[in-house]
Amino acid sequence: MGPSRSTRIVLLIYGLVVIAFLYLPLVSVGFASVSRARYLTFPIRAYSTKWYGKALESGSVQDLIATSLKVALIVTAVSMVVGFFGALAFARYRWRYRTLFQKLILLPIFFPQMVLGLSLLIWFNALGIIPTWKTAVVAHLVWIAPIATLIIAIRAYSFDPALEEAARDMGASTATILREITLPLLMPGIVSAGLFAFLLSWGNFPLSLFTTGADSTLPEWLYAKMVSGYSPLVPTLGVLSVAGSFLLIMLAFAIAWMIRSIRTSRELQN
Amino acid sequence: MSSDAILRLRRLVKKFGAFTALHGIDLDIAEGEFLTIVGPSGSGKSTLIRLLVGMEEVTEGTIELRGRRIEQTPANERPTCMVFQSLALFPHMTVGQNIEFPLKIRGVSPADRRRRAMELLDMLRLPQDYYGKGVAQCSGGERQRVALARALAFDPEILFFDEPLSALDYRLRKTLEKELKDLHARTGKTFVYITHSLEEAMVMSDRIAIMRDGRFEQIAIADEIYSRPVSRFVAEFMGEVNLFDVTGAENGGLISADGALYVNGNASGMGVQLAAGEAATLMVRPEFMRFLPPGETADFVASGIFHGEYELGSRIQYEVNTASGYTLTIEKLREDRFSGTPGEKVTLGFDAEAAHLIREARDGAR
Repeated sequence: MGPSRSTRIVLLIYGLVVIAFLYLPLVSVGFASVSRARYLTFPIRAYSTKWYGKALESGSVQDLIATSLKVALIVTAVSMVVGFFGALAFARYRWRYRTLFQKLILLPIFFPQMVLGLSLLIWFNALGIIPTWKTAVVAHLVWIAPIATLIIAIRAYSFDPALEEAARDMGASTATILREITLPLLMPGIVSAGLFAFLLSWGNFPLSLFTTGADSTLPEWLYAKMVSGYSPLVPTLGVLSVAGSFLLIMLAFAIAWMIRSIRTSRELQN
Repeated sequence: MSSDAILRLRRLVKKFGAFTALHGIDLDIAEGEFLTIVGPSGSGKSTLIRLLVGMEEVTEGTIELRGRRIEQTPANERPTCMVFQSLALFPHMTVGQNIEFPLKIRGVSPADRRRRAMELLDMLRLPQDYYGKGVAQCSGGERQRVALARALAFDPEILFFDEPLSALDYRLRKTLEKELKDLHARTGKTFVYITHSLEEAMVMSDRIAIMRDGRFEQIAIADEIYSRPVSRFVAEFMGEVNLFDVTGAENGGLISADGALYVNGNASGMGVQLAAGEAATLMVRPEFMRFLPPGETADFVASGIFHGEYELGSRIQYEVNTASGYTLTIEKLREDRFSGTPGEKVTLGFDAEAAHLIREARDGAR
């Protein structure tokens, strides 16, 4: 039996309110980005896309995007590799210090990022390392690699150990098993871990703030501009940043869909 | 069967920490044999098979394959292959890719691989268009056949089975048991099968090895194990049975230890003689036990109260409780149906030829 009519109406209103709270701010940033005015005012009197043109032309904006992208891509790649092996250690193999490892790996996630960023900065200073975007990569990894590990570990838990044993029984070496069995089976987990890693790094502010030194990422710049002097480039870059994340997710879905359709068409051929 | 043994185990011991799973196993497996290892869960049969394929390390003892020691050889270098309980079909591969996997590992060319996969699909009576099908789209019985085809593609010296039929429904299991036996005959390979189902073992095997607490209790053909078990454990494991405590009498015959049984004459049909005072167990299967009408007698006679009957399909089972606390089981074919009313006093009997004497330390410390 489904919910009654009054319950349905209450649920509908509840749903609409939640969606409005979540997305209305984002929509208002979108509106702000297409305002002609130099200052943030509502309602918007005249619309223009000139700030988008300015943003894309500006060398400093290009640098910002390049830095953020560079950091996010390296963090993504390293998280996927580290996460893969970490997940095997986390979920697949029984070894002496496994439970300790499982607990330690969770710690950075529960650590407040501000504190994590500060402590890393102090640590870099102590070691005499000058903070740049490269130290930010390290800082992001401290927080994101464990998350990637957990995402892949969830996939690894649902994996029948007999599959690897069967492959070995049929003559496969450890490297072959990894390539032919383990890696393909964990691939969905690795891809979603990669997506998460990219999005978390691309949008990260607290860790970047402490550890980028003279370099600046997009979220840092947005914050600095809001504090030191508003520019219509702020909502513009905000929207561009969201669009970047969105495009990445769409790309991932498109690739997944393509792989699936190739697979089905191959099955139909045979 | 010593010179033509393909696999020879000597004093094989497996320990997990303080727990000993296998206590010095000795076994010779003959070339081309279908050997089934049966035992309750925890008896060590799975551990044994994992040692044989190389998935667990041997603690002590030797494994020889055609005279060559292999106990230190890793699983991927042993010429043996196992069909897993879960089948372990690779879910990201098609049926064809699964079957070709061992050939691919060996570096066989794609064309040859495909040809062999097609041959195996035929052999296992799977349609050729299954080659490109996803494993998930196959039914339980089909997946079973794919797993078999993949194992045969490996072309092992010995094929091991770890209860692969246990997850299937009754009907399908019966069909596949017969197919497996047929496949054994057609390929001529050595099959070693483990199961906890005695029926499965009886249908398929040349020899059955009964395992208990990390040791072999008895290794023999099905009929031998059923009719002449070496211990109460084997007797009870092999289906319904009636067991009586007996001791040797001065005159060379038997006497019932607890008065449950009247022994007529000296029961010399048994073929074995107990020393005076020696304790043993007298075994009779339910189908050899009969209801005695008044005035008739048998070598051994017991009386009790009729308890009830149970339908077994082709047979009917009856239960009778004796005054000394035994619950006796009798089985009759449908056409020989006995009509009794619960609570009625009945007399049961069986002859010495149908009985078997088990001589072991009774309830002994094992």
